[in-house]
Amino acid sequence: MGKGQPSYTDEEFVAAIRRDDDRALAQLYRLHFPMISHYVLQNSGTDDEAKDVYQEGVMVFYEKVRDGSLELSCQIKTYLYAVCRRLWLKRLAEKTRFGGRLDDHEPFLETGAEADLERAEEKERQLGTMAQSLDLIGEPCRSLLEGFYLLDKSMQQLTDEFGYTNADNAKNQKYKCLVRLKKLFFNQYQESN
Amino acid sequence: MKTEADYYALFEAYRAGGLADAERTALEHRLAADPALAQRLNEFEELTGTLTAYGRRRALRQRLAAIHADMVTEQAPRLDLAKVAEQDERGEQFASGQAPRPMLRISRTEQKLRAFWQGHRATMMVAAAVAVLAVFTTLLGLEMYRTSQQSTSSRYGYTMLRREVERIKRDQRSMNRVITQIDAAAPTERLNPGKFSGTGFALTADGYLVTSYHVIQGADSLLIENSARQRFRAEPVFTDVAHDLAILQITDKDFTGFGRLPYAFKRGQSELGEKVYTLGYPREDLVFNDGSLSARSGFEGDTGFYQVSIPVNPGNSGGPLLDDRGNLIGVVSGRQMDVQSAAFATKSSYLMRLVDSLSAAGAGKPYNLPRYNQLGGNTRPQQIRKLQDYVFVVKVYE
Repeated sequence: MGKGQPSYTDEEFVAAIRRDDDRALAQLYRLHFPMISHYVLQNSGTDDEAKDVYQEGVMVFYEKVRDGSLELSCQIKTYLYAVCRRLWLKRLAEKTRFGGRLDDHEPFLETGAEADLERAEEKERQLGTMAQSLDLIGEPCRSLLEGFYLLDKSMQQLTDEFGYTNADNAKNQKYKCLVRLKKLFFNQYQESN
Repeated sequence: MKTEADYYALFEAYRAGGLADAERTALEHRLAADPALAQRLNEFEELTGTLTAYGRRRALRQRLAAIHADMVTEQAPRLDLAKVAEQDERGEQFASGQAPRPMLRISRTEQKLRAFWQGHRATMMVAAAVAVLAVFTTLLGLEMYRTSQQSTSSRYGYTMLRREVERIKRDQRSMNRVITQIDAAAPTERLNPGKFSGTGFALTADGYLVTSYHVIQGADSLLIENSARQRFRAEPVFTDVAHDLAILQITDKDFTGFGRLPYAFKRGQSELGEKVYTLGYPREDLVFNDGSLSARSGFEGDTGFYQVSIPVNPGNSGGPLLDDRGNLIGVVSGRQMDVQSAAFATKSSYLMRLVDSLSAAGAGKPYNLPRYNQLGGNTRPQQIRKLQDYVFVVKVYE
């Protein structure tokens, strides 16, 4: 732990992350990274893969906390371990190098993380489709939608940025873009289903 | 007729709460009545929801990447200026919102090596352990084998000879031959049966005996036992390692003598093809074996020995070798393992020379060797009946 940083209990972590406390998130991240990194490295992974898996695991945890849908029946550590373990298993299966034999060094408990992961995967797929749709939609729709929905810019800002004569024009353009995005998104989403 | 975009404007206003009460109720009524419209609203909400979720996810990912980069730079404080500059560059990258990927400066080869090591660490550990174990087992086994070999050979007093054999093997001068001495490792079931036993026979009527040197080698005390189970203490008087001979003397006070010996010692050499036989104690009982004199030299051409075709066993060592007429011509000493029934016996001429030199030195009691042979003309069983009282078990205690 770095100097001058408050150390949190699990409950405090959850509360702080719910408040969107950046420092708590950073600390949580640092606290458990060595465990996952060690686990992944032990099981024929690289540093980069460890990082990816861990970040994905933290994201699952974070989003659950932000949703308020987290029911933590165990330590955060155990939860993260379970999630990351699953994620790494999946990756390994994709690499098809190592079958499924993994060395566990933490007690692996039934944490409910499995179910969370399935939901997270579904969401992941949805978001992936969204990213694709955004890539396909082309300019200026992409920048407009990203500006409004992703970067939380106001319509006035966007009007100025894109040189529309007034905010209503920009809005109309945005709605048209949304319609296009909708078509792309639902088409792709159904295709992949 | 409204376009879809118009509906979206309406929905957005509805969700943002920007509609007047009247409009809102009107919309809610229509939504309740028109499933197609409700479906459209659902889609709109899913779309915008996914969009915002996507945005949040992206932001979170960047935050985590930043945290990770922070962590990495913190963990590995870089000292030199070039790297500080690089860090500054990263700082700029933060500002631009593009998350930097923390990079470990290692070469591609090293990366591969690391990956390999991480993947196969366990396997390699096991392999290394097995290799180390195998090496040590081999070394230890070899060492044990060698010491056991050495102990047997030194027990027989034939270390020199063994070395000779190995050298000859190396030189390919000789066939692969190994000599094994005859000695009894078979202890009897009696109380304190002794560590080894061999055979011995009377040299003089007043208590001198002959046996093989390797039988008594390393002995603390010796016990002589005849076929009538009479026991005497004895101690070595003289030993001749080169010819594998030992002369013992009975030390018991109440020992009176063997009586007259029925055989005589031959001072000359015997002829090839002579019928010979021996008596000995390879087991608890006296055992007779016979054969012929097959060569006038012993192992490796040693002229101190005869080669005889008598099947001998551990325990026969030190036994008397007699010819048909009952002359004592040798002392059984050893056999060669890889040659069919090749036993060796010290020539009696060497025994005689030894006794003569001892007499000349004048140490101890004089040696009164038997002069006349009483066995000539007797049949074998008769000879043996007369002989058996003069052949003994020599028990060795270490």
